[in-house]
Amino acid sequence: MIAPAPRSDNSLLVHGYLDGELDPAHALELERAIAADPALAAERSRTQALRDLIHDRLASERAPAGLRTRIESAVGLRRERPRPSWSMLAAASVLVAVMASGTTWLTVREPQTDAAEMVVADHLRALMAPQPTDVSSSDRHTVKPWFNGRVPQAPKVVDLTREGYPLIGGRIDVVGRMPVPTLVYGHNQHLISLSAIPATSVNAPARRTIAGFNVLEWSDNAVRYWAVSDLGASDLDSFAKAFRAAEPDG
Amino acid sequence: MPFGRGAQNDARCVIRDEDQARFQTVVLPHLDDCYRLARWLTGNRADAEDVVQEACLDAFRGIKGFNGSHARAWVLTIVRHAAYRWLRKNRPAALVVVDDLEALSVPGAQIADSAATPEAALIAQADTARLGQAIAALPVPFRETLVLRDVNGLDYRDIADVTGVPIGTVMSRLARARRRLITTLRPNDP
Repeated sequence: MIAPAPRSDNSLLVHGYLDGELDPAHALELERAIAADPALAAERSRTQALRDLIHDRLASERAPAGLRTRIESAVGLRRERPRPSWSMLAAASVLVAVMASGTTWLTVREPQTDAAEMVVADHLRALMAPQPTDVSSSDRHTVKPWFNGRVPQAPKVVDLTREGYPLIGGRIDVVGRMPVPTLVYGHNQHLISLSAIPATSVNAPARRTIAGFNVLEWSDNAVRYWAVSDLGASDLDSFAKAFRAAEPDG
Repeated sequence: MPFGRGAQNDARCVIRDEDQARFQTVVLPHLDDCYRLARWLTGNRADAEDVVQEACLDAFRGIKGFNGSHARAWVLTIVRHAAYRWLRKNRPAALVVVDDLEALSVPGAQIADSAATPEAALIAQADTARLGQAIAALPVPFRETLVLRDVNGLDYRDIADVTGVPIGTVMSRLARARRRLITTLRPNDP
């Protein structure tokens, strides 16, 4: 309760009055003052309106559920594994939809499995992972050496930032039981996975769509390249053109 | 030897479990209040989450020091400290107080003569975004007092505890904060 204040502070006491902080005697006294003074009455109705406004609009905001979860985990109240995030669930549902729609997607048509299907599967897996790369760097001098010792031959790595396809990093994919170097490039919000597989035969560039992804295949210097992305076909073509035109790193 | 060590570990686990149980009953029920205070002190929701998380870890570490009463005020005090640390680091200018905080010769008089009822009705219809901007523009001492009272619903006693000022100061800051908001939200002057 508020201690008695000088009478001149009535406009201040209006606040204590509205907040229920005045003792009954002072509250009564203030009510009389309000009845006698229109300015005081105006202050009371303004203040009341503001209190109600703030209460109605702002007092019901809740802490995000994720915050509660993180705090509970941080103090050891949650021992189970963290629940998957919404983005992961969304990605998983996309995968389920893809698996449900593309009946041929998981069927192995021939004894020798289709490499294109595998690079698409690797690309999907990368999209669902916390990050699409094992090594994240826009510096080709970081990315290329990372492959040494992991795959028989480090791939050609070029930065295509100027062409609009910045290097994001690299990872190892598995295609037909073989570890394969894959570079990851970005274009606006989209990712491109570019896998490089040593090949003896040379194929003409080919394009197809698997599970909604554009796949572009070409050969250069005894390496077969597979580019996978949800980018439009023409953007993916420009990417391939830029990659093939870029000087191999020396 | 193995037995001794095992017993020690058990004891530590028990203590930890006790802390967790207290944390669950003392801190977690007030998480929404913590978030609302941090949201208005930092000025945005993302940083508010960081501040609240940090404050909750502080509260967990200090849970033994909690004396058992006024849990909400105790937790909000910790959140306020964490928010001030954040402000010092990220918004140092916000903590430089230019106003004479306790002087009370504020707008009150000049808005007192407008007609009461239409004005109150207009305030009641104010836009939420505008209300938010007006609150964000208040100096920190006014803002925290207003938020603790009108958003969190604390009484003056608890607000005085959380902000470390006398109850009379709580009331005068509240009056000034509200008058500023009314002045800002009032429709354009004729």
